[in-house]
Amino acid sequence: MKQLSDLAYLKLNKFQRFWYNFLMFLAAIPRWFVGLCKRIGRAVADFFIDIKDGILDIGRTFKQGNWAVKLSFLIFGMGNLYYGQIMRGLFFLLFEVIFIVYMILPSGGIHWLSKGNWFQTGATIGNQQGHLEYDPIYDTDKWIPGDDSVKVLLYGLLTIIFIIAFIWTWRLQIKQCRICMDITAKGKKIKSGKEDLKSLLDDQFHKTLLSLPVIGILAFTVLPIIFMVLVAFTSYDAAHDGYSNLFSWVGLEHFNELFDFGQGGLGLAFGEILSWTLMWSFFATFSNYFLGMFVAIMINKKGIKLKKFWRTVLVMTIAIPQFVSLLYVSKMFDSSGIIGELIRDMGWLPQSMVDAHQYSLWANPTSAKILLIVINIWIGIPYIMLMATGILMNIPADLYESSRIDGASPWQQYTRITLPYMLFVTGPYLLTSFVGNLNNFNVIYLLTGGEPLNTEIGSAGGTVVGHTDLLITWLFKMTLGSTDSRYYMASIVGILIFVVCAVLSLIVYNVIPSTKNEEDFK
Amino acid sequence: MASVKLTNVKKIYGKDTVAVQDFNLDIADKEFIVFVGPSGCGKSTTLRMIAGLEDISEGTVEIDGVVVNDLQPRDRDIAMVFQNYALYPHLTVFENMAFSLRLKNAPQDEVYEKVVNAAEVLGITEYLTRKPRALSGGQRQRVAIGRAMVRDSKVFLMDEPLSNLDAKLRNQMRAEIILLRKKIDTTFIYVTHDQTEAMTLGDRIVIMKDGFIQQVGTPTEVFDMPVNLFVAEFIGAPKMNTFKTGLICEDGKYFVTPYGAKIEITGKKAEMLKEKNVQSGEIILGVRPEHFVLADQDNPAAIPCKIVVNEMMGSELHLHVVEENGDKLIVRIPTVSLEDEERKELVYGKTIYVTFESKVMHFFDKETEQNLLV
Amino acid sequence: MANTTDNKLKRKGMGAKASRRLSNFVIYVILILITVIWLFPFFGIVMESFKIDTQAMDGELFPKQWGFDNYIRLFKETDFIKWFINTAIMGVATAVFQTFFVLAMSYTLSRLRFKGRKALMNLMLILGMFPGFLTMILIYKVFSDLGLTMQMAPVGLVIVYCASSGMGYYVSKGFFDTIPKTLDEAARVDGATRWQVFYKVIMPLSGSIIIYTILMGFMAPWGDFMMASYIIHENSAGMSVAVGMYEWLSKTMLNSHYTMFCAAGVVVAIPVVAVFLALQKYYVEGVTGGAVKG
Repeated sequence: MKQLSDLAYLKLNKFQRFWYNFLMFLAAIPRWFVGLCKRIGRAVADFFIDIKDGILDIGRTFKQGNWAVKLSFLIFGMGNLYYGQIMRGLFFLLFEVIFIVYMILPSGGIHWLSKGNWFQTGATIGNQQGHLEYDPIYDTDKWIPGDDSVKVLLYGLLTIIFIIAFIWTWRLQIKQCRICMDITAKGKKIKSGKEDLKSLLDDQFHKTLLSLPVIGILAFTVLPIIFMVLVAFTSYDAAHDGYSNLFSWVGLEHFNELFDFGQGGLGLAFGEILSWTLMWSFFATFSNYFLGMFVAIMINKKGIKLKKFWRTVLVMTIAIPQFVSLLYVSKMFDSSGIIGELIRDMGWLPQSMVDAHQYSLWANPTSAKILLIVINIWIGIPYIMLMATGILMNIPADLYESSRIDGASPWQQYTRITLPYMLFVTGPYLLTSFVGNLNNFNVIYLLTGGEPLNTEIGSAGGTVVGHTDLLITWLFKMTLGSTDSRYYMASIVGILIFVVCAVLSLIVYNVIPSTKNEEDFK
Repeated sequence: MASVKLTNVKKIYGKDTVAVQDFNLDIADKEFIVFVGPSGCGKSTTLRMIAGLEDISEGTVEIDGVVVNDLQPRDRDIAMVFQNYALYPHLTVFENMAFSLRLKNAPQDEVYEKVVNAAEVLGITEYLTRKPRALSGGQRQRVAIGRAMVRDSKVFLMDEPLSNLDAKLRNQMRAEIILLRKKIDTTFIYVTHDQTEAMTLGDRIVIMKDGFIQQVGTPTEVFDMPVNLFVAEFIGAPKMNTFKTGLICEDGKYFVTPYGAKIEITGKKAEMLKEKNVQSGEIILGVRPEHFVLADQDNPAAIPCKIVVNEMMGSELHLHVVEENGDKLIVRIPTVSLEDEERKELVYGKTIYVTFESKVMHFFDKETEQNLLV
Repeated sequence: MANTTDNKLKRKGMGAKASRRLSNFVIYVILILITVIWLFPFFGIVMESFKIDTQAMDGELFPKQWGFDNYIRLFKETDFIKWFINTAIMGVATAVFQTFFVLAMSYTLSRLRFKGRKALMNLMLILGMFPGFLTMILIYKVFSDLGLTMQMAPVGLVIVYCASSGMGYYVSKGFFDTIPKTLDEAARVDGATRWQVFYKVIMPLSGSIIIYTILMGFMAPWGDFMMASYIIHENSAGMSVAVGMYEWLSKTMLNSHYTMFCAAGVVVAIPVVAVFLALQKYYVEGVTGGAVKG
């Protein structure tokens, strides 16, 4: 497919243009893919070049440095101390001392690392199984605790992180030696500890502001996610909770189980849930989007009075905590709820449902799914309405005026001005919203709890699967319950949710123009 | 009150986008210097490097003999006025102007005195209690200048301060800045893209293009002796007419042959050409519109051309004319030099004859576009 | 001739007016319908809460007998007050800490430039694609060792809500992006450190986004069910209203607790709605600004 010149392109009619754009899009895919590979390749190459430069720099520093700098290759911070940066030097020294002490303590880093049997398929995590032992004093069996696999895994992971931090700090303080050497060579003054502290409120202010939020994210998101990714390769479940029963490394066994479509495998359940999840996200996102925009346009139409009132009515649904409104609405459609009973009494239920003893809309998979999407519209329209209102106000009024003079009807104004503008501006939002719906736990769990149960695959692999379960509610259910929690499967599902989101985002970010550059918006 | 010295200053964005190239400049104490050039020429970047708002990639900036490369803006003792005023919307005019003093914990008496003094100079005393949003553009710019004034700083930086004002206000503010400069006797560095501002305000002008300094000089110098074609066309409005023409050196006499006419070069210009030992060949000749004069048809130095547009500016006429080869020229004729009847004859399609004297000619090399006499 | 065109124009003008009137009429009908549909559940829940003839679902909209019995039972016989206080405390605490975390993160990303900024944003983008609930398995395990679950769950939950809240920086970053950069520069030339720029120039201009962030933080514990139910682990003393009231609609308790659930719903909704409507303006600014800025 040859690229047309601008003028040649302008000559094409609507269909030809569409066809041309479509072909160009297809043609761009391999190019895009090659570009992506190149980018990744370059990043990897850069990474190794950085490492090489780093090593060279370290070597140079060692060669050129004085005794203090050389010493700081073993004892952290000596270089800093030598150059008068007492605070930094002591800080580095303290870090090294803590690290060494932690590693060699009897219950320290080496201890935990050695117990992990890292990634040896079949090996338990932790070596000592807790067990019952007869206690002659009380004449009962007493629990002698052994290792706790969860702790072994967690502390092992922390130790590895600590080691990485140690190496990084080692490099950092050598780099600082280098900087000090350079500065002294130029005859300039080295920053004092007081200036260091002062700069935390000035050119290093970002460190001050970011420290707590980033530590929070590292501790409460990054660490648990790495942990859960590891769990996907173990047999961590209710029966093997690590304390009363060690769990072990199993490799890809559980991934195979999830993609096993035969008897006992979770393949069918997974397929069913994934397809409903995607379908749900699609309908939930776009039904809300277009209807919400429609409502916003109606409320904002010139000449409509009580604008504030209409808006407030809708905003009420946002204000009331979802579990109250959703649970109540869920019961409203129950067989004995206000509307559910009305539907039943009026005989509006299809005969096929009555024959199957399904007396409310929740009881039938299809009607339940439709009802979910409808109720989600009730929940979602207000958000979109507010957002669309803001955007509509941003569209310059003279666009409409000039289009009216050009002879555009209200409908043409909508399709040619409002919609393109909205789509452009809200492109990234649509993606966020799609991903949000993919993980919309509240609406599904509070309205149906995943029911009605899917009797055909209901007990596949021991998990209960409902027709309206999303991946996220399925994940949730797999972690609840004292006897049948399957944490490893939950983390596999979690990883798959990530994969779905990541693939979607990659596609969208490469197709939608407005997501390309952060600065374009300003 | 300080000198500013830039040595080999360079600004590189990212890996290889060069915004400013090898910038060398000595600014004397109490000098008013203007950086001028088209947008993207690096003038604002240079100013922001002096201010400390941009990192300096290479080279040094000295204020009063001290290298300030690594100093924060607040430690450089500078004041700056921004194009879009940059007033703090949540503070009153008084507090806006007092902001820097408040940061220094200056006593209230001092704050009051300085702010009110500055306000009086700028004529904004009555707005001191207002918020910026209640002010007009011109008033906002005065507040911004006032905010810089109360700092009593060594260097006063102004980044296109008049660009957001309408034409009339701009002229008025320009005059006020000249007056202001007499009152606050300090070093000024002023950035603008408007050559009129540059010419009227600057003691010296720095003309920049694509990150390079083209010429540094007093307004007269850059007007009379532009070093290259770019400066020649940039300074002066309407811009200088430039056209390819032959330069002939015969028996120690120099002639130019624009469009078939033959004009002898006499006086100082001829001496200079001789001094530089310029040879015959094709050159680019520059003549400012106001330096054309109407000539008789039979004058061998006359160039015939057709009027395309006649702009009546009041004090002068701007005639856009087309020469026979299709080259477009602009001729500027003072109204006072013509009788009413003559003026009325200068209509579309009429052929006129113009010429110019030696002393207004500018000679540029065809290839390098450098002034042949520099 | 002139007269007829005149008339034509006039007729056409009236036609436009009439058609506008018609379309406005249709819009009013739709809007009124929307109002009824949107408010109906809330009306229903209030009606339900005044029923004293039944404690189960009876499929009627209006009570046959009116009374406050449900409310009295709610306060006397259940742990509802405890739950309510738990949630309110959590709301306030979350509002305070989350606001700090979110503002610090978004301000830094929007207005400061430093090495690793892009990398940090990409990291958070990627992390955001993992279902947040996944982290709860480990967090629960650690918290239960530390004693931050069950009756201490409110403390644990506040930590959970706040710790990673920096990742929700998008809306307020969008807001900060709209404040001109020259303000910072002017202040820095005027002698302000970055910290002074932050609290003397930008914060005073950010009232609306601060209130928005506080509002979001306050609302979080009222609406969250997933994390809360996991951490609380069916311990009544540590419950939030969402988890506590969810029990009442389980199959075994539904018939004796339904009307009381509705009463509790009303009690929960009133303060939250009041706060929300009072600060509606800021919420709207946040939603619209955030979406446009992405």
